[in-house]
Amino acid sequence: MNYSTSQFKNGMKLMLDGNPCSIVNNEIVKPGKGQAFNRVKFKDLITGKTLEKTYKSGESLEGADVMELEMQYLYSDGEKWHFMEPESFEQFDLSEESMGSAINYLVEQDNCIVTLWNNNPITVVPPIQVILEVIDTDPGLKGDTAGTGGKPATLNTGVVVQVPLFVGIGDKVKVDTRTNEYSGRA
Amino acid sequence: MSEVKKNLVRYQDLIIKIREFFYSHKVTEVKTPSLLLSPTTDVYIDSIEVKVNQAISRSAELYLHTSPELEMKRLLSKGSGDIFQICQVYRDNEYGKNNSNEFTMLEFYRIDFDMHHLMENIVDLLAALGKTEAITKISYAQAFFEYGNIDILNTDLKGLKKIANSLGLSSNYDWAEDLQTLLFVHLIEPKIRQIPICFIYDYPKEQAALAKIEGSVAHRFELYLNGVEVANGYQEIQTANEYRDRFTTEIYKREKISKKISLVDEEFLKDIKDGLPNCSGVAIGIERLFSTISL
Repeated sequence: MNYSTSQFKNGMKLMLDGNPCSIVNNEIVKPGKGQAFNRVKFKDLITGKTLEKTYKSGESLEGADVMELEMQYLYSDGEKWHFMEPESFEQFDLSEESMGSAINYLVEQDNCIVTLWNNNPITVVPPIQVILEVIDTDPGLKGDTAGTGGKPATLNTGVVVQVPLFVGIGDKVKVDTRTNEYSGRA
Repeated sequence: MSEVKKNLVRYQDLIIKIREFFYSHKVTEVKTPSLLLSPTTDVYIDSIEVKVNQAISRSAELYLHTSPELEMKRLLSKGSGDIFQICQVYRDNEYGKNNSNEFTMLEFYRIDFDMHHLMENIVDLLAALGKTEAITKISYAQAFFEYGNIDILNTDLKGLKKIANSLGLSSNYDWAEDLQTLLFVHLIEPKIRQIPICFIYDYPKEQAALAKIEGSVAHRFELYLNGVEVANGYQEIQTANEYRDRFTTEIYKREKISKKISLVDEEFLKDIKDGLPNCSGVAIGIERLFSTISL
């Protein structure tokens, strides 16, 4: 199915140079003495790169068969990361490259959003906030309960996050996956 | 004061300051008809048609003006001298954040001003409205050299198509001017967003509209405020024959792209048969201007 520029809106998934892309911004530009254009900013859903294109009004692009589904992360066998769609019990797997930074935040049984293109998973977005366990960090300074300073802590997924000095090994912490920042004790 | 009232007063202040500016420069305010017998011939502007007098069996099709340009040029050719007008204008098939079917236009003409002189006059007007940021003036060709590394005046249709393709854009355009505009919108406009006040002048002759042509350029300019087109001005062509040629070209292009066409406005050509005085004129979008100034 093709979509014309007049149907363009943010979030629409379209095919561009062979890759599925999502419209991030769509601006109509009508020069006083020229024809109307749509200046469109896309995000390539596979590479994550941003692209800018300009179309004359009336041009059309092929829609991309892209679905975002909530899935449960099952396990990793070291090469592939396995997920299950909880309603159909259908399983999908992704390579480390496609996992991107989601690798840092997913623990078995966690729910996350998996994007499918032509029924193949292409990206995973972890929940905005995840709860992870501290497996290594330097002992904190005594009496620092206000969290005025910070220190690195390694969490059970392997990711390193700056935490307040009072956080110790075995503590569970909340992490904002968009910024990789500590957001509180769990 | 309510927000609504504050905005109304702010808008009123803008209009008062514009009028004071022109009165102090001895420019006469005029009012011209907005219901016209002929639609515009402009290739990419569409007139809104209105049917009148059906109930009294004097049915006629009229057109809301898309700009007061031709009506003001009738006055210029009859000796009006410097004139300005603030009016609503109407255009079909316009939509978007910065476009609508109706907007307010300030149009003015200065006798014996060339294009650069008129741009200076606009700078003075902006200053009178409290807009005093640094001015950037750059020719169309310079802008393409600087922001796109493209020799726009010496690139033909084939070359322009190649550039569009290399940028991953469609090259399915019939005329060089359409590709020039595509590249301007795609490459140049995003770059001039950082510039508060930017004049672009000397357009390729294919985009002359009703401006005087000299060599490969037309003495036409546009004013961009942070990348948004706010004004379009010309050093005006003066003879009825030149106007006939430009209208004929525009009508031909409209026909080529299957747009509604009309005949050349012979009444207009008759009215300006003695020619226009040497002058320059500009149209400024008031709402777009209003959104960029703080009075």
